[in-house]
Amino acid sequence: MSDRITAAARRESLALLAPGIAVLLLAFLLPVAVILVTSVRDPAGGLTAAHFAKFFVDDYYLRIAWRTLRLALAITAVTVIFGLPLAWIMVRAGPRLRFAIMLMVILPLMTSVVIRTFGWLVVLGNGGLLARLGEFLGLDGRALVLMHTETGVVIAMAQVLLPFMVLTLLGVLRAIPRDLEEAARTMGAGFWATMRLVVLPLAVPGIVSGSLIVFALSISSFITPSLVGGVRLPVLASSIYQSIGGSFDWPFAAAQSVLLLAATLAVIIPYTRLARGRT
Amino acid sequence: MAELKIEGVAKTFGQTRVLHDIDVTVPDGGFLSLLGPSGCGKTTLMRIVAGLEVPSAGRVLIGGRDVTDLAPEARNIALMFQSYALMPHLTVAENVRFPLRMRRQGSRAEQEARVAEALELVQLSALAGRMPRQLSGGQQQRVALARAIVARPDVLLLDEPLSNLDARLREDMQVELIELHRRLKLTTVFVTHDQDEALSLSDRVAVMQGGRIEQEDAPDALYDRPATRFVAEFIGGANVIELAPPGALGVSGARLVLPPGAAPEGARAVALRQEDLALTADSAGADYALPVKIETRIFLGARARYRLRAGGLVLLAMVPRGALAQADVATHVVWSAQAMRFLSR
Repeated sequence: MSDRITAAARRESLALLAPGIAVLLLAFLLPVAVILVTSVRDPAGGLTAAHFAKFFVDDYYLRIAWRTLRLALAITAVTVIFGLPLAWIMVRAGPRLRFAIMLMVILPLMTSVVIRTFGWLVVLGNGGLLARLGEFLGLDGRALVLMHTETGVVIAMAQVLLPFMVLTLLGVLRAIPRDLEEAARTMGAGFWATMRLVVLPLAVPGIVSGSLIVFALSISSFITPSLVGGVRLPVLASSIYQSIGGSFDWPFAAAQSVLLLAATLAVIIPYTRLARGRT
Repeated sequence: MAELKIEGVAKTFGQTRVLHDIDVTVPDGGFLSLLGPSGCGKTTLMRIVAGLEVPSAGRVLIGGRDVTDLAPEARNIALMFQSYALMPHLTVAENVRFPLRMRRQGSRAEQEARVAEALELVQLSALAGRMPRQLSGGQQQRVALARAIVARPDVLLLDEPLSNLDARLREDMQVELIELHRRLKLTTVFVTHDQDEALSLSDRVAVMQGGRIEQEDAPDALYDRPATRFVAEFIGGANVIELAPPGALGVSGARLVLPPGAAPEGARAVALRQEDLALTADSAGADYALPVKIETRIFLGARARYRLRAGGLVLLAMVPRGALAQADVATHVVWSAQAMRFLSR
C-alpha cells in the first residue's frame, strides 16, 4: 500500500522534473559531450592529447590561463569587499534608502553588457574621465589611463557583476536577526567587533554562494575583457573565440573549453563543500 | 553592582510620544519589574537603559555615573532578550564567554573558569559544547541567563525572558530567578506583561500605561492599594465601578450608589476584587449586598468565575471550589467595607 504510494509520488516528481531534464540534456550535456569528444579526436578519427599538449607547451597560452584565473579571483574579491557593506546597509536602512540603493544595484542589470562596457571605455580610456582627473591633480597624463590594463578589466567587470553578489548577500544578511547585533553590543562588542564576530561569520554562506556566481561568470566572460582589456590582454574565452574565428581550429577551441570547465569545477566543488560544512 | 537611576526620561519616535518624563530608581541589588500591556513603553525604557535607544530627554545614571550618551558596549550592563539572541555560530560555552572576551575580563583560563561556574549555576554544564540549535527552548533560555550574569553586570536587564516557555517551565524558572537574584544580588530590571511574574519576583513593581508609570510600589501594596483605575484593573483584574451620587445602596445605570458617608470625599470610583465578592442566597449581616442575576459561570478548577448582572452593572466574582453549590443558587452578591478601594482618578 505505502510502497505503491511512494512509487506513485516518485513518478509524479519525475514527471515534474522531465522538462528541466530534457532541456539540460539537449542544451547542456549534449554540447558538452560533443566538446569533450572533439577535444581528444585527431583528424584521422583516433584519440589524441595533442590539442591539450599545444596548450601546455606554449607559454603564451599558460599566461592566458593564469591571467584568466587571476582576474576572476580579483573580480570576486572586489565584489565581496564592495558588496558586503552595501548589502548590510540595505538590510539596515529605512525603506526609502533601501529602494534607492536597490535601484542603483539593479539598474545596470537592465542595460546590455556591451553598453555598460562602452560606458567604462569613456571613463577609463585615453582622454577619458579618469585621465582628465589625473591631469587635474597634476599626475602624469597616462597615470590614470586604465584602458588595456588588468585593473581596468577588474573595475569594469566588478561593476557588471556586483548585482549578483549584492542580491545573494541580501538574502543571507536579511535572515540574521537584529537582536544578535544588539546583543553583541550590550555584551561589550563595539561596532567593528560586532561586524567581525557576528555579522561576518553568519554571512559566510552568502559570501560563498555569491562568490561562486561571480567567479563562474567572470572566468568565462568574454565581452568586457575583450573591450576593456583589448587584444593585448586575452583571456581564455577570447582565446577560444580566436581559435574558432581566427584559425578555425575547432579541436583546440574544444580543448581550451574543457580546461576552462575543469578550472571552474576545481574551484566550485571545494567551495560548495565548505558552504555545506558551515550549515 | 550599582544603583540605577532614571531621571526625567522621555522618548518620541517621529510624532509619537512613547515615554513621558519617567523617573524611577532601582537601589543597588534591587529587583524592579516594569509591568504593563504591550505598547506601554516598558521595552523602550529598558532599551534606553541598555543604550540601544537614545532618550529624547532626561538622564540615565548607573552607580552615580551619567551613561546617557554612552554606547551600549561602554555600559556595564547585560540584556537578556526575549528571543534569547544566542549566537548561532558559537557553542554554548563560547556564547557564555562572549561578554568576558569582549570586556577583556581576566585571562582565557580565568574566563573559562567563570563560564563553567555560570553554566553550573543554571545547571547546563553538561551541554557546554553543544550548539544553540541543538538545545530546547528552556535550555536556550538558561544559556541566555548564564551569558547575562557571567560578567557580573552593574545592571541586569531581562526583557520578557519567560514568555516563550510553557507554563510549567515558566514556574520553575521563576523560582530559579528568585534564587539567582538572592545569591548574586545584581541590580535587576525585569520587563513583563504578566502580572503574576511581576508580583512574585520583584521587590518593586512599576506599572506602566501609555508611556507613563501609573504606580510604583511593593507588590503587596500595589495589589492592596491600587492608586489608579488602570492599576486596579490590570493587577488582579478588579471590578472598577463608577460611583453615582450617594443615596440608598443600589445601582443607577452602570454606576453604583453607596449610602452617604460610605465613600470618602472626591472618590469617583471603587475597586472591588473578584475574590472579595461572595455569592449568597442570604445577605443578612453583610456590610453591602446587591441583588444580582448570574449570567455565566466559568469553571477554572480550584475556583470558578461568575459573571453577574445587577441592572446595568456587570460584576465578576471569583468563588472558591467549596462555595460553588451555594453560589449557584445565590440571589445576592455581598462584600465587606474593607474590600472597597476608592479611586479618585
